[in-house]
Amino acid sequence: MKYKKWVVIAGVLCLALMLAVLPLLGSACAGPEEKTIKVGISTPSTGPAAEKGAPMGHANLDCIKYINEELGGVDGHPIEAVWLDNAYDASKMVTNVKRFMDEGCVLFTTSSSKMMSSVMEIANRDGFPGFAAFNAPVLHRPPQHIYGQMPDYGDDWVAFSRYYMENIWKGSGKPKMAMHLLNNTTGYGALDAAKAAADELGIEILPPEEHATDTISEIESLTRIKEQNPDVLYISSTPAPTAVIIKNAVELGMYPGVTIGLGHAGITKALVDIAGADIVEGVYGVFPTVNWGDNVPGMAKMTEYCQNLHPDDYGNMDYITSWAQSLIIAEILRVAVANAGYDVLAKGGEEAWQAVETQGIQKLNYDVGGLHGPVIYTPGDNRLSKSVRLFQIQGGEITPITDWIEAPLVKYEEFDWFGQ
Amino acid sequence: MAELLQYLITGISVGMVYALIALGFALIWKSSSVANLALGQIVLISSWFTYAMLAQAQFPVWLAFPLVILFALGLGWTIERFALRPLIAQPILALITVTLGIGYFIEGVVTFIWPWSVDALPRLFPREVAHIGPAVISQEYIWVVGICLVVFALLTLFFRHHKMGIAMRATADDQMAVQACGIPVTTVFSRSWMFSCVVAAIGGILIASIGGITHGLVQTGLKAFSVVILGGLDSFLGAVVAGPIIGLCESLGGGYLTPYLWAGVKDIIPFVIIIIVMVIKPYGLFGEVRIERI
Amino acid sequence: MSLPSGTRNYTYAQDMAILRTKTHWALFIGFLVLLLTAPLYLGNYWLGVANLIGITLIAAIGLNLLIGYCGQLSIGHAGFIAVGAYTSAVLTNRLELPFLVGLICAGLMAGLIGLIFGLPSVRVKGFYLAITTIAAQFIIIWVINHWSITGGFVGIKVPYASIAGFEFRSETSQFYLIVSIAAICTFFAKNLARTRVGRAFIAIRDNDLAAEVMGINLLYYKLLAFFIGCFMAGIAGSLLAHWIGFLNAEQFSLTESILYIGMIIIGGLGTTIGPIFGVVFIRLLQQILTVEIVPFLERTFTMLPAGFATGVTPMLFGLVIILFLILEPRGLAHRWALFKSAYRLWPFSY
Repeated sequence: MKYKKWVVIAGVLCLALMLAVLPLLGSACAGPEEKTIKVGISTPSTGPAAEKGAPMGHANLDCIKYINEELGGVDGHPIEAVWLDNAYDASKMVTNVKRFMDEGCVLFTTSSSKMMSSVMEIANRDGFPGFAAFNAPVLHRPPQHIYGQMPDYGDDWVAFSRYYMENIWKGSGKPKMAMHLLNNTTGYGALDAAKAAADELGIEILPPEEHATDTISEIESLTRIKEQNPDVLYISSTPAPTAVIIKNAVELGMYPGVTIGLGHAGITKALVDIAGADIVEGVYGVFPTVNWGDNVPGMAKMTEYCQNLHPDDYGNMDYITSWAQSLIIAEILRVAVANAGYDVLAKGGEEAWQAVETQGIQKLNYDVGGLHGPVIYTPGDNRLSKSVRLFQIQGGEITPITDWIEAPLVKYEEFDWFGQ
Repeated sequence: MAELLQYLITGISVGMVYALIALGFALIWKSSSVANLALGQIVLISSWFTYAMLAQAQFPVWLAFPLVILFALGLGWTIERFALRPLIAQPILALITVTLGIGYFIEGVVTFIWPWSVDALPRLFPREVAHIGPAVISQEYIWVVGICLVVFALLTLFFRHHKMGIAMRATADDQMAVQACGIPVTTVFSRSWMFSCVVAAIGGILIASIGGITHGLVQTGLKAFSVVILGGLDSFLGAVVAGPIIGLCESLGGGYLTPYLWAGVKDIIPFVIIIIVMVIKPYGLFGEVRIERI
Repeated sequence: MSLPSGTRNYTYAQDMAILRTKTHWALFIGFLVLLLTAPLYLGNYWLGVANLIGITLIAAIGLNLLIGYCGQLSIGHAGFIAVGAYTSAVLTNRLELPFLVGLICAGLMAGLIGLIFGLPSVRVKGFYLAITTIAAQFIIIWVINHWSITGGFVGIKVPYASIAGFEFRSETSQFYLIVSIAAICTFFAKNLARTRVGRAFIAIRDNDLAAEVMGINLLYYKLLAFFIGCFMAGIAGSLLAHWIGFLNAEQFSLTESILYIGMIIIGGLGTTIGPIFGVVFIRLLQQILTVEIVPFLERTFTMLPAGFATGVTPMLFGLVIILFLILEPRGLAHRWALFKSAYRLWPFSY
């Protein structure tokens, strides 16, 4: 009994010590006074989305390291990244943003759209500019102080449908499109775009089907889809459920036959692994970045840093996205320093935020080393990159079949069903 | 008609997957009255271990599967020895919560070792589908149904005729009396956890070969709870009968209700069934009704 | 009651008072002063953490009444918080009703939904009830995601809280709002526990059959526990909604529900002070793990395997729960009581 008690007391003491010492450690790491520019970066490096968040956090920091060490920071001022984990938890993200504001960051980024959506009201209320790597209509429609780095899941749908109408659809009349959606924003983002733009494109949308991330059989929903004889099946989901759906479509004899299109969350190497290369042969998909090993100017440095610092992440597509995100941060700061001067940014607070937004983000014209579509700000459109490429799975490889194609802006806020 | 047949076959085969996991749950409940909420995570870690054996270490199947079984036995022993045994005779709340803690811990271990979180087992079953009239069923599911029935038969025989099985049933009934008879209760608990983990591991291999190894396996484990609730927590027969019933409700309900309700209605059907069963027949179809005394 | 020797009761009111001695009063006033002046020396970030703790505390107090006092295990608390949050959001955003109406309706609505899902508690308990409440959580989230009025998967914006024209814009003003509501809830729970209702709850928890024989109306009290527990969850949800400003159903996951159980167990079930300890402990642990330790590990030990920081957090968390259950099943509150008596009896502790 005596022994147990001491164990408990020792444990409590250890925890108390940890509580007391760690904030100090954190602040001690802040380091010497230098003329730096602070930016806030938050990734879900632990928690339910860690498999995406962790490599994205690595990429963000690796790239900042590259910018500071090899490019001499932004105009001679090193970027100081205040990087916080948000564990994919909305309330933690809220406190993170408050910390970014407290520490004098001039802008902030997140990797997931969901984390951004949970803090966008707070940021918009104070005019604190930020952008998310993955985008969603709710973040930027109507446009305020939040930006999106990539096209959103709705843009994927528009880009695919346009390509389909122009290059694949050979029949007469309207093609019938069935949609199979993951039960979250990834899935329903595509549906929103379909509702908004299907008429214009001349596509008939069948009643949507929904699935969960843990689905093991979609035979039943596909049976229903099959009865309506669709010409094309669009799946907006993550790799594992997508694999199940395509496998079941093959079993039911629907595929090959219909054209299958995927949003960018679905068309990854994991899909090919889970479903098997022979099953997913010929499936189309939309993706907003280049592949590892593609011949673009930004590839060499990224590959070098990734293989030196985080070799496990090599081949991870999200790493490219976040590497590009940090490049964009640096470019925003460079433009803002050039236009508004370093002193305004160094002050922090609302003046700096406004300068970064109006003199930096809104004057962007940047090619991101070719890693994804060009970043050009157009007034009224808070998507930074608007371009995607179409891919097709050929012989187990995800092969690009188009150059960058731009997805038009859908003004969701003009539809009264949006968010209803 | 063709679609009805398809719904029936899909429902039964998917239900058998739930039944298999439910068997693992009932096993522990039957011997120690502990509700194992970490079941989903045990399924998850054993399918990752299978992945490690088959895809990472490249062992042949005949070597990999026995290793997975050994791993599951070890896992069950460890959980029981270090987390459950110190809590013997604690209130049920503590026992349920400790399994939640175990679940967290296992998830952490999984992320620690396999941080990329989505992967696929090498193909274990041929891709050709079997045709039953106009309906189709993939070979994985035929295996699932077969294996589930075999496990069920083994467990039933074990509990009815083997000495250890009888001891397990007795322990669930009255721990004190069993201890007084000289049966080592701790061994009984330990064995039941080990067996349960093996059943979960078999389920894990099968599900992972169908839908890949993802975090979704934890959720599938949760769905299996509706099976045990419907079948009765301590009944193997209940699990095997209730599994297909839940599967059928899902596929028929999804098939015929979705056009009239919101999409995705199939995903909550098991949970609605839980609520209904709770109000109407709380001890399930085949569960033992316990009479309480003060 | 553990009180210093020489404390006498002359009236019943004196006997029942929460603060008995001069030391109590001094400590209490000191604590209040410290709490209320917190915005002066805490930055927005730590105030934000404090607000989160306050909101969590309100929900945890409700859950403690339900689990700790009445013994009805509920693993769907986040679902009921979601009901409150969305009720408040829909009322203040779509119907533009005042915040206070939203707050009260959030509580009532969550309480009502709690009553519905609490109905099975009349027939079942323990694990069966746990599974029912898990089911409740999934059904609630599913309805929120598909019902058009809640904004569905897109989510819904929530305006600032405002009372009589005053908008709670700054973190500081929200801090005072949340702290005062949390204080009311704590006081309410403390007093409820020592009335007839509270004693009935405890009787049901210890043995519901015996309680029924004694003449306690099981149906009434079990449902009352569900109503009060979920009412507080609804209030917490409403405050959370106005604090964050944007709702998405994914914020209310099963993991969150499990976390709440962890909190009240670590704090100490069936005590007033338990939830406070538990909530502060878990929220700070989380905050420090994710905000300080993970970035620290990732930065310092780049040679560690990729999943290290990611995997260690849930492992630590699970381990803390398991160890607490094994080593200190009565929670931090029990440890606190031991500490108090040790302090009072020192140096003659035996």
